[in-house]
Amino acid sequence: MLPTLSVLNLNGAVPQIAVAGAGMLIMLIDALFHRGSRRWAAYLALLGLAVALARVVESGASAETILDGALARDGLGMAFALVLIVAAALSVLVAMDYLRREEHERAEYYALILFATAGGLAMAMANDLVAVFIGLETLSISLYVLSAFFTGDAASREAALKYLLLGAFASAFFLYGIALLYGASGTTRLVEMGTAIRLAGTQADPLLWGGVALIIVGVGFKLALVPFHSWAPDVYQGAPTSVTAFMSVASKVAAFAALVRLLVVVLAPAAPLTSALLALLAVLTMTVGNILALAQDEVKRLLAYSSIAQAGYILVAAVAGEVGAAAVLFYLLGYAFTNLGAFAVVLAWSRRGEGRLPFSDLAGLGFRRPWTAAALSLFLLSLTGMPLTVGFVGKLYLFGAAVQAGWTWLAIVAVLNSVVSAFYYLRLVVIMYMREAEMPLALQRAGLALGVALAVCAAGVILLGLVPGVALDWARQAVAVVLS
Amino acid sequence: MSLTQAVFILLGGMAVLGALGMVTLRNLFHSALAMILALFSIAGIYVLLEAEFLAVVQVLVYVGAIAMLILFGIMLTRDIVGRASAVRNRQWPLALAVSAGLLAVLAVALVRAAWPLATYAPAQGGVADLGLALMGPYALPFEVASVLLLVAMVGALIIAREARE
Repeated sequence: MLPTLSVLNLNGAVPQIAVAGAGMLIMLIDALFHRGSRRWAAYLALLGLAVALARVVESGASAETILDGALARDGLGMAFALVLIVAAALSVLVAMDYLRREEHERAEYYALILFATAGGLAMAMANDLVAVFIGLETLSISLYVLSAFFTGDAASREAALKYLLLGAFASAFFLYGIALLYGASGTTRLVEMGTAIRLAGTQADPLLWGGVALIIVGVGFKLALVPFHSWAPDVYQGAPTSVTAFMSVASKVAAFAALVRLLVVVLAPAAPLTSALLALLAVLTMTVGNILALAQDEVKRLLAYSSIAQAGYILVAAVAGEVGAAAVLFYLLGYAFTNLGAFAVVLAWSRRGEGRLPFSDLAGLGFRRPWTAAALSLFLLSLTGMPLTVGFVGKLYLFGAAVQAGWTWLAIVAVLNSVVSAFYYLRLVVIMYMREAEMPLALQRAGLALGVALAVCAAGVILLGLVPGVALDWARQAVAVVLS
Repeated sequence: MSLTQAVFILLGGMAVLGALGMVTLRNLFHSALAMILALFSIAGIYVLLEAEFLAVVQVLVYVGAIAMLILFGIMLTRDIVGRASAVRNRQWPLALAVSAGLLAVLAVALVRAAWPLATYAPAQGGVADLGLALMGPYALPFEVASVLLLVAMVGALIIAREARE
């Protein structure tokens, strides 16, 4: 029988279709009528993301699948999709003035951001490992190209090449893992795979263990977990700053969405082994990320190592499996505002044609740019986990989930790591306010869109920190509705 | 040993030999030829598994298109055809250890696995069934794959166009 459109029920895939469709529309309009400024492309991208966001919020969660069982419309998928769409919209705002300033303003930039988002949405909501893989590749390839977007810039090209080579390698691991899990269960659908694994019992199915290990390597690369992190500092530093901002948030949200779904839906019976493996990775990632961050003298690279450490904190809750899912979701929402905001300030302050922002450039900016400096201080305090910011509530919830699941020692390691991280985050604040500039930095005009993005990020960090209740309830309810 | 087993060992051996040649040969052009050998042997294994359509696609896409594209790429790149490139660097002992570990894990997993057999006969329709599967249960990956190809194409254009300017 031929499948009909009603069987496929495209209505539920509107978020993906809106995002990818807006990207294609941008490319079409640009090819047919491109004249002058590309600002319209950014507005069109925002419109597509707004449609997707409205659809995600309005349709709500239901434990049903669409597209013949390939796409899950459950709370878990929808909630991660929401975080991803918000992050993409903020990334578009952040990029608008920056691209013009750097004379690389082109419509394809926004189209690629949208395609990457569509891939991430597929990863977050897919109930099929093949779809997860193709979503991952769509996200990754868009990011490779975006890393090379400043093509005249050698650092940008080098970043893209490193990312491409190591990323292709990691994809092979992920794909091999999928093949082994398919061999162990006879299906690529996650729910059926989970059932098959539960029925078979977990005692020593070598295919299952092999598949899990390889998939964790693939996901670990995307999340830049230690020891799969070596690409991250160079790529984060070499890529255009607006791309780094997007990449540091979007690929983490999408990869954690897929990882949490795998842990909850498929690998729950294998929890003892996966938890031990992830706990080991979490300890390594937090510790190595923080120690290397201590030695940096440039803000962009510091934030790269900080992102590595942050992935380690989130992994602490992922270790707890189902218990930690809500904490992972809430922390990622806060992390999206915090990290995008911090990179937005780097981008506003860095010299034209140069992505770097050495610590010495920060001196004295606390008083020359009081609002932006206050915003950066807020983001850094939130990354540290100071009370009254979202970072504090988020970490409390992350580590609380680990304790609740019996991983107390892991939570203690995470808290100790947070203490270490305070040193390098607060050092930036000290430099901004306490040190005189030897050579005052020639600052660019920030632009309205960047200001809006910064204001939204700061508001998100403060509001989620002061009144976290609403968002926490939302996260808890969302992850309670999981297709299984 | 049955004939099937003999053919499998022959094809499998050729695939491994091609793969080894691809990573160890010093000349990039020879590496690409070795890769074609590996890809072709895998197509043979697909025939052995009675997956004829997959075998044809493997030859058309991988041997016919991708490998040829790589050969053209090598030949059109200046100063690369005749030159021997280093296949080892300082980190080779570490790489060897990691690869050997991975091989050991995979070998143990594959040998000790209790391979489940499908309870139903493989589909006979071939292309028709494949088409239905792509429009039905696999519509999502199929559609996302089209976005993926679009991204790859746009990316190649962005990087190539700017480099020429």
